[in-house]
Amino acid sequence: MTDLRPIGLLAELTHRCPLGCPYCSNPLDLTRAGQELDTKTWTRVFDEAAELGAMHVHLSGGEPLVRKDIAELTNAAHLAGLYTNLITSGVGLNAQSLTELRAAGLDHVQISIQGVDPTRADAIAHFKGGAKAKREAARVVVEEGLALTINAVIHRGNIGDLPQIIDLAVEWGAGRLEVAHVQYHGWAIPNRATLMPTREDFLAAAKLVEEARKTLEGTLVIDHVIPDYYAERPKACMGGWGRQVIVVTPDGRALPCHAAATLPGFTFDNVRNKPLTEIWETSEAFEKFRGTAWMPKPCKGCERAEIDWGGCRCQAFAITGNAAATDPACALSPEHAKMRDMATADAASNAGTYRFRRIGG
Amino acid sequence: MTDPAPRLAPGVKLRKDAKRGTVLLGPERILELDDIAQAIVAEFDGKKRVSEIAAALAKEYDANADDIRADIDALLKDLTNKGYVKP
Repeated sequence: MTDLRPIGLLAELTHRCPLGCPYCSNPLDLTRAGQELDTKTWTRVFDEAAELGAMHVHLSGGEPLVRKDIAELTNAAHLAGLYTNLITSGVGLNAQSLTELRAAGLDHVQISIQGVDPTRADAIAHFKGGAKAKREAARVVVEEGLALTINAVIHRGNIGDLPQIIDLAVEWGAGRLEVAHVQYHGWAIPNRATLMPTREDFLAAAKLVEEARKTLEGTLVIDHVIPDYYAERPKACMGGWGRQVIVVTPDGRALPCHAAATLPGFTFDNVRNKPLTEIWETSEAFEKFRGTAWMPKPCKGCERAEIDWGGCRCQAFAITGNAAATDPACALSPEHAKMRDMATADAASNAGTYRFRRIGG
Repeated sequence: MTDPAPRLAPGVKLRKDAKRGTVLLGPERILELDDIAQAIVAEFDGKKRVSEIAAALAKEYDANADDIRADIDALLKDLTNKGYVKP
């Protein structure tokens, strides 16, 4: 039994979303409204998460604002003592709904943007009027005095607009900007050939972020999530399997990461039937890749074993077919060159059509 | 030298946690504070100026006000750059 305690609960309240972003991290097999956990069950999950030691709850989705009980859920999380973070597209967030959420105890809002040019941004989100709604949502968040993070997902179609995206975050009054290169899970996998930037463009973006961090120090905090396909070392996915984060899906499955349901041979416990603490401490799924005992070479004995925890299990499976392999993002992985070659081929392809995210899709 | 009246940035909270001690909670981040840092941050209310905080803490801990002032300035700069505090 582990004595680790999660820092955060990622509560995927729903998979429903008006947008159709082709890089959505939700699974291809989206959960329908009828299967979603009800208010009472989420309230219990928030209480259990706080008791387990979590400090943050990320109210996410899909689009969490499509839940009619979003204010009630926010309040339940707040009363449980959790720091409440709403992760939203911004569509549906206006002065009225924000005032209500704020009264319910909302601490922070993260709004995703697809780019700076409204027409192009709406084309990527597959939703007309989205860019305009986001701008208005950001305005009311800042006007209410709430903290705002802008999340910009970066890919081939907008990587050249990064300077304008950074300017936009400052102009909108965000305290924090996430420059998040597409991570290839969920809907991003079938869209990889359309989304993948070139390595040169990625390196230029990384340099730009470094410079902007210096110029904007004290004004805007910039977090940079780099694309694994061009990395030399893997990321500590979710801070390590079963170490910092617990994900609960719309239908109640508790996962160590939001893509873990793609891994074969797993049974994930459901919060409908088991307390969160028991799942976290003793379930087979959370134990499976926790710590370092499961690691193959070259992870085993590596000086970075307890820094990156072997990287991402879902990516290892997606590229190598083996969930227990070293993440091929690592230059020490025998599959590293294969992954880099896939990215290079994708970046050079002429693919220009997105497969947009949709339920039943 | 400027003499700001620091406050926590929007969305940042000072919390006590059974396992982690006193922490600053912000969006997607958490910072554990040592005893000195938490004594200083607890005074960041947007009203008290750094010079006043330094004088009060120097008296309370029977320490040199200039040393305390240097500690506060260093912490303030660090926390401002990390987005936890507004000077």
